[in-house]
Amino acid sequence: MLRLLLLAALVLAAVGWLLSAPALIASEELPARQADSAAGERIFWAGGCGSCHASPVDGERAQGDDRLLLGGGQEFHTPYGVFRAPNISSDPTDGIGGWTDIEFVNAMQRGVSPDGEHYYPVFPFASYARMPVSDVLDLKAFLDTLPAVAGRAGDHELTFPWSVRRGIGLWKRRYLSSDPVVAVGSDDPALERGRLLVEGAGHCGECHTPRDKLGGLQKQYWLAGAPDLEGKGRIPNITPASDTLSDWSIDDLAYYFESGFTPDFDTAGGTMVAVQENLAQLEPADREAIAAYLKAIPAQTAPDR
Amino acid sequence: MKKFLRFTLNLGASLGASLCVAAVAVAEHSPQHQRHELMEAVGDAAKPLGGMLRGKMSFDADVVMKSLMTWQVSAEAFGDLFPEGSESGEGTEAAPEIWTDRAGFDAALAKFLEDTNTAIAAKPQTLEAAQPLIGAAFKNCKGCHDKYRIEDE
Ligand code: HEC
Ligand code: HEC
Ligand code: HEC
Repeated sequence: MLRLLLLAALVLAAVGWLLSAPALIASEELPARQADSAAGERIFWAGGCGSCHASPVDGERAQGDDRLLLGGGQEFHTPYGVFRAPNISSDPTDGIGGWTDIEFVNAMQRGVSPDGEHYYPVFPFASYARMPVSDVLDLKAFLDTLPAVAGRAGDHELTFPWSVRRGIGLWKRRYLSSDPVVAVGSDDPALERGRLLVEGAGHCGECHTPRDKLGGLQKQYWLAGAPDLEGKGRIPNITPASDTLSDWSIDDLAYYFESGFTPDFDTAGGTMVAVQENLAQLEPADREAIAAYLKAIPAQTAPDR
Repeated sequence: MKKFLRFTLNLGASLGASLCVAAVAVAEHSPQHQRHELMEAVGDAAKPLGGMLRGKMSFDADVVMKSLMTWQVSAEAFGDLFPEGSESGEGTEAAPEIWTDRAGFDAALAKFLEDTNTAIAAKPQTLEAAQPLIGAAFKNCKGCHDKYRIEDE
C-alpha cells in the first residue's frame, strides 16, 4: 500500500514537473510611470506585510513603528510544518533591496522568486495577484524607503512532500488567478475600490474563506467563515449571512476597522487585532469601501467542518 | 468581597435601584460569571460614549457621567474577581496571563481606573472637553483585552 502511494506520488511529481511551468509577467507589461511611495504606504497597510514580515520583538508581535522593520523571522506553525517569514527589508544582501521591479512583481503576483522557484502560498500571493500592477510598484517604492535590517530568518521546516517547491506549480494552475472573485463593483467606484482592497491587497479571504484538501480557497464559500488554521475556534463569516454582522451598518463596520470596537464595544480579538491595526492606518474612504463591499457580496454559509 | 459589596452599593447609589438588583443577582454567581457580567456592563456603558464621540448621538453631560461612573465602579470591583481556581470554566475569556502576570494585569486595570477618574473629576460639559478624556479611557480596553483576554468560541 505504501509502495503504491509512493509510486502515485512519483507519477504526480513527474506530471507536476511538466505542467507546472509558471507564467511570468514580462517587463514590457509594466506600466511606464513614476512609482508613488506615498500611495505605496496605503498598500503596505492594506496588505498587512508587517504582520508577517516585521521581526518579532522579544518574542512578541511587533507593534507601532516596529511594524516597519521587516527583518522577518516570525514562525507559522501549520499542518505542513513550520514556515518562517523571510527578510524583505531594503537590505541589499539579506533583504530585497537589490531586487528589480519585475522581480518584485513576479514574486508578489505570480509567487515566483528571482531564481525561478515557487513560493508557498502561506505568502498570500494568490490574493496579491488581484492587485493592480501599479499598486505593486507603488508598494515597492514605499518598501525601498524603509530601513535595511540585517540578518536572515531560518529555513522552513516542512515534511515531505511539502518540502518540494516544484509541486506548488500544480497548485498554482488550479488556484492562481487575477480574476475578480465577486463581480460587484464594475459601475460603482467605491465598491470596486472595496473589492480590490478585500480580494487583493487585504487578502481577507485567506483567513475568512474555507480551504479544500489541497489548501486552495473554496471560492463558492467566499468569506463565509473557516476553521482557524493556527489553532482554536473558527474565523467568522463576514458575508451578509452572518448573524452578527447583519446588525452592523456600513458605518459600524468602518468604525470596527478604525477602532477595533464592535457595536457592543467588545474589541476585535485573535489574529484580527493585527489586521485591524493595519486597517486603522488607511483613509476613511478605504475603510468605508471595504465595508460597502462586505455588504454587497452574496450571503453564504460554509459547511461546518 | 468587601469591595464587591461597595461596588453593589455604589452602583445602586449612582445608577438607581434597577441596576442594583442586577448587581446583587451578579453577586450570587461564580467569579467567572460575575466578571463576564461586569464587562458587559462596561461595554453597555461604552455605547452612548462611543455614539457621542462618533457624532451619532448628541452630547449629554449626564449620560457621560453615568457611563463613566459605571466604568469606575466596575474597575474597582473587577480586580477581586480572579481568585485562584477560577482560571477556567463557564466559558471564561480570562487569559492565563492574568494569573502568571498579575502585576501587569493590575497595572492595566489601575490605569483604566485612573483615566476614568480623571474624566469624572473634570466633569466635562461639552463634547470638545469630553473627547480627549473619554478617548484616553477608551484606549485601555483594547490594550488589556489583547494581553489578558482570549477568544474562546
Ligand atoms: C500571512 C503572512 C504573510 C503576509 C501577510 C505577507 N507575506 Fe510575504 N512571505 C510570507 C512567507 C511565509 C514567505 C516565504 C514564502 C516561501 O518561502 O515560499 C514570504 C515571502 C515574501 C517575499 C519573497 C522574499 C524572498 O526572499 O524571496 C516577498 C518579496 C514578500 N513576501 C513580500 C511581501 C509583501 C510586500 C507583503 C505585503 C503586501 C507580504 N509579503 C505579506 C508571508 C507573508
Ligand atoms: C489573519 C487572519 C485574518 C485576516 C487576514 C482577516 N481577518 Fe477578519 N477576522 C479574523 C478573526 C480571527 C476574526 C474574529 C475576531 C474576534 O474573535 O474578535 C475576524 C473578524 C472579522 C470581523 C468581525 C466579524 C464578527 O462577527 O465579529 C470582520 C468584519 C472582519 N474580520 C473583516 C475582515 C476584513 C475586511 C479583512 C481584510 C481586510 C479581514 N477581516 C482579514 C481573522 C482575519
Ligand atoms: C484591565 C483589563 C481590562 C480592561 C481595562 C477592560 N477590559 Fe473588557 N474584558 C477584560 C477581560 C479579562 C474580559 C474577559 C472576562 C471573562 O470572560 O472572564 C473582558 C471582556 C469584555 C467584554 C465581553 C463581555 C462578554 O460578553 O463576554 C466586553 C464587551 C468588554 N470587555 C468591554 C470593555 C470595554 C468597552 C472596556 C473599556 C472601556 C474594557 N472592556 C476594558 C479585561 C479588561
